Amino acid sequence: MRSLLWITGAILAVAVVVTGVPAVAHHASGPFYDPEKSVEAIGTVTKFVFRNPHSFLYVDAPNADGSTTSWEIEMGASVSMSRRGWTPDTIKAGDQIKVVGQPSRAPGTFGICCAELTRPDGSPFRP
Amino acid sequence: MTGTRTGRRLGWRREVIVSATLCALAAGGLPPAALAQPVPDASEIPDLVGTWDGGGRARRVNGPNMPWVPGENFPVLNERGLAYQAAFDEAIAPKYDCLPSASPALQYDPYMMDVTQWPDRVLFRYEKDDQIRTVWLDGRQAPPTEFTVQGFSTGRYDSGALLVETTNFVFDIAGFDDYNGIPSSQQKKVTERYWREGDELRMTLTVEDPMFLREPVSYTTRWLPGPEGYKLQAYNCDPFEAGHPRKFLVPKYR
Repeated sequence: MRSLLWITGAILAVAVVVTGVPAVAHHASGPFYDPEKSVEAIGTVTKFVFRNPHSFLYVDAPNADGSTTSWEIEMGASVSMSRRGWTPDTIKAGDQIKVVGQPSRAPGTFGICCAELTRPDGSPFRP
Repeated sequence: MTGTRTGRRLGWRREVIVSATLCALAAGGLPPAALAQPVPDASEIPDLVGTWDGGGRARRVNGPNMPWVPGENFPVLNERGLAYQAAFDEAIAPKYDCLPSASPALQYDPYMMDVTQWPDRVLFRYEKDDQIRTVWLDGRQAPPTEFTVQGFSTGRYDSGALLVETTNFVFDIAGFDDYNGIPSSQQKKVTERYWREGDELRMTLTVEDPMFLREPVSYTTRWLPGPEGYKLQAYNCDPFEAGHPRKFLVPKYR
């Protein structure tokens, strides 16, 4: 069971402005993620994979029923992110993080794209 | 990239071209270049050397209408093209297995590009997918039976611009662009014209592919000078991460 807060409206532009994270440049996000919906996840980073053509952030978020959802957040290419100061250590396992973005389309998957990343206190997550 | 620097480079380049031609003559043979294009006047050779930024600073990026805009320059597909587009499934796009982007999409990808000009060739190195294209200026012809992802490029200088013609591409199910599921065939021909406008590098690119397109289509774009001293990074596409998003697609076929 997902602990989700569904909000109407796309957030791509906000995400880029707030986080400085390049959005997906390798492929169109539309077939994979629904820009008409938004999902929020608050949890603990388990892994940050800083690669090309996309980086991925893994976050475990507790749900109200005691279960945990493991989210996979697609980010930009490491070559592009590194030009903005990102490194493989910008986000570390154990960091607390809040993610708001477009949910993946395939049923039973927990992907997020074009995300706004903030710390639990609401401050932006920046390199 | 000041005017002074440009002038010095052009003089040097012309001397090298003349020297190479004279050496070849002295050795008893003519380089192919002598057969293809006379030594161009320095004023015809644009200074394209450098690292160029094709990211969001230079142009709009990331979207199905870039650079192909419906109602403006979006391609008119023939029946075969429409059929392929209708059958296209995003999951099959070769990029999800780290196969590199090719012309005309490669030039518009929002990454850095490095250009080197030698007397007999121009090298375009792309940070995206670690690709390199060699544009031969020495008059050689495309080998008739050799087809590759980036094709075979020949070029010449004309009126302050570099003209490039590329053929001999392999069939690519997503070979026209990154967003619209349009393929390209072995008959694809890509023509590029590069020139300088102040500090900017400009290019007009035209695609012909009678196997899928009813008529040629073009776009014009630009690059800005890259950060001083920037060296292209290795892309090292990760096959797992490249295909990772496939799981988020609602499958078109079962």
